[in-house]
Amino acid sequence: MTDNKTPLIRVENLTKKFSTTTALDNISNNIYNGEVVVVIGPSGSGKSTFLRCLNLLEVPTDGRIYFEGTDITDPHNNINKHRQKMGMVFQQFNLFPHMTILRNLTIGPMKLLKKSKEEAEKKALELLDRVGLADRAGSYPNQLSGGQKQRVAIVRALCMEPDVMLFDEPTSALDPEMVGEVLDVMKMLAKNNMTMVVVTHEMGFAREVGSRVIFMEKGKIIEENEPKEFFENPKSERLKNFLNVVL
Amino acid sequence: MLDTIYKILAFFTSDATADRWFEQIYDNFIKDDRWTWLMKGLWVTIRLTFFAFIFGFLLGLIIAIIRVSHDKRVVMPRQSFLQRLGGIILSILNTICKIYLNIIQGTPTIVQIMIIYFVILASSTNKIGVAILGFTINSSAYVAEIIRGGINGVDQGQMEAGRSLGFGYIPTMIFIIIPQALKSALPALCNELVVLLKETSVASMVALQDLLAAAMLIRGRTANAFLPLIAAAIIYFVIVSILRAISARLERRLNSGDR
Ligand SMILES: Nc1ncnc2c1ncn2[C@@H]1O[C@H](COP(=O)(O)OP(=O)(O)O)[C@@H](O)[C@H]1O
Ligand SMILES: [Mg+2]
Repeated sequence: MTDNKTPLIRVENLTKKFSTTTALDNISNNIYNGEVVVVIGPSGSGKSTFLRCLNLLEVPTDGRIYFEGTDITDPHNNINKHRQKMGMVFQQFNLFPHMTILRNLTIGPMKLLKKSKEEAEKKALELLDRVGLADRAGSYPNQLSGGQKQRVAIVRALCMEPDVMLFDEPTSALDPEMVGEVLDVMKMLAKNNMTMVVVTHEMGFAREVGSRVIFMEKGKIIEENEPKEFFENPKSERLKNFLNVVL
Repeated sequence: MLDTIYKILAFFTSDATADRWFEQIYDNFIKDDRWTWLMKGLWVTIRLTFFAFIFGFLLGLIIAIIRVSHDKRVVMPRQSFLQRLGGIILSILNTICKIYLNIIQGTPTIVQIMIIYFVILASSTNKIGVAILGFTINSSAYVAEIIRGGINGVDQGQMEAGRSLGFGYIPTMIFIIIPQALKSALPALCNELVVLLKETSVASMVALQDLLAAAMLIRGRTANAFLPLIAAAIIYFVIVSILRAISARLERRLNSGDR
């Protein structure tokens, strides 16, 4: 849809204030096609708020967000249409507990993309197979482990054929032994050139898969760089301190 | 002491007592097919309960959605004209709903029914229609609060997941939030149905020929209050027990399925 020169997502002077706190303080950034942008930073630094502003789950107090050239903060644009192109994966999975896995995966494509049942199910089963869960199509979410739920949640977003995937700490609610299986799916996406914005504490993932790492603190982007430089040669004191603590 | 007990036993087991009981049962239920009066009354009670519950449920659902939508509405810093208009309409609807709920929950059911019957719709000859309207209004207020509780109990992440897929607010409500809300509200809704069934007996006060009215009619003919009223009580009890059994079963089925 867009070439590599114009950003897929353009964030301009984004500010988000909650009643007592300024969660995002005048942030500007561009996210390009095919990039895997990893966002790190201490808890409460505004990472989730930043990610959730990108698809307007959080309404910005000020600033503009352009997605594929359209200002999605303009109230005259239909945000629902744009969200179809922005997949989101949550820390708590948020699968629909009253539907089977297959229904979780097909309800969006059928109701929103007007796909036929056969077409939607074919695609869903294909993707489910790729994350190793083809045999769980008829199960309900509560019958799955955390890692399985999160893989299904990723597939649910993928079934909408999005142009970008947003991940908010996708492995933070998982038992340690299940983190790997979810990261593997994300690596597979990255390899297939999916544009991704990932909030995570998995430094290994940032280093290995990220094309750019952003460090946030107190609602500001303090530093950003390609992973090698970012981790081996941090410029700001604050990032140095942060890396000392987490690495 | 023993003597007294013996006398009482003799009284209850004597042929004379048995004859009297039979005579009374004959008088109250069999003579002139009076038992069919009870059955006709029961049918009125069932129809009244059924339609009042269905309509009350639908009205309550709409009120609940208006209340929740208003309370959780996110006000955008920049709004289009339509969004602003929508916000104003929602505020007005919400205020109307709140007043409606307060009035219905703050006044006795029987007074509501009498006002609707004697004052507002005094000219109507469709007694059961008027009663259905009255109990629909009454029940909708309670159902609205039950469903509102159910919706508020659904995890916030469900709305976000639906919206992030690209569903609008209303479709997310319909496909994702409401089904989960109704499931958790099911026990309370079944209870409301039982309460409604019992409360419809108030309709006998506005000359509707329901189950209780039929019992009173028999009493008028036989001058015996005990048997017809006990019969009505037993019938109410049996219907309530059946409803309770069905709802318990439904709950178990739903709970074994997914969550
Ligand atoms: N819904 C909210 N209401 C009020 N304050 C919030 C809300 N969401 C986040 N915040 C505040 O905004 C700041 C940034 O939060 P968040 O983006 O969740 O940080 P992070 O994801 O980096 O841990 C925090 O101070 C947090 O308390
Ligand atoms: Mg967070």
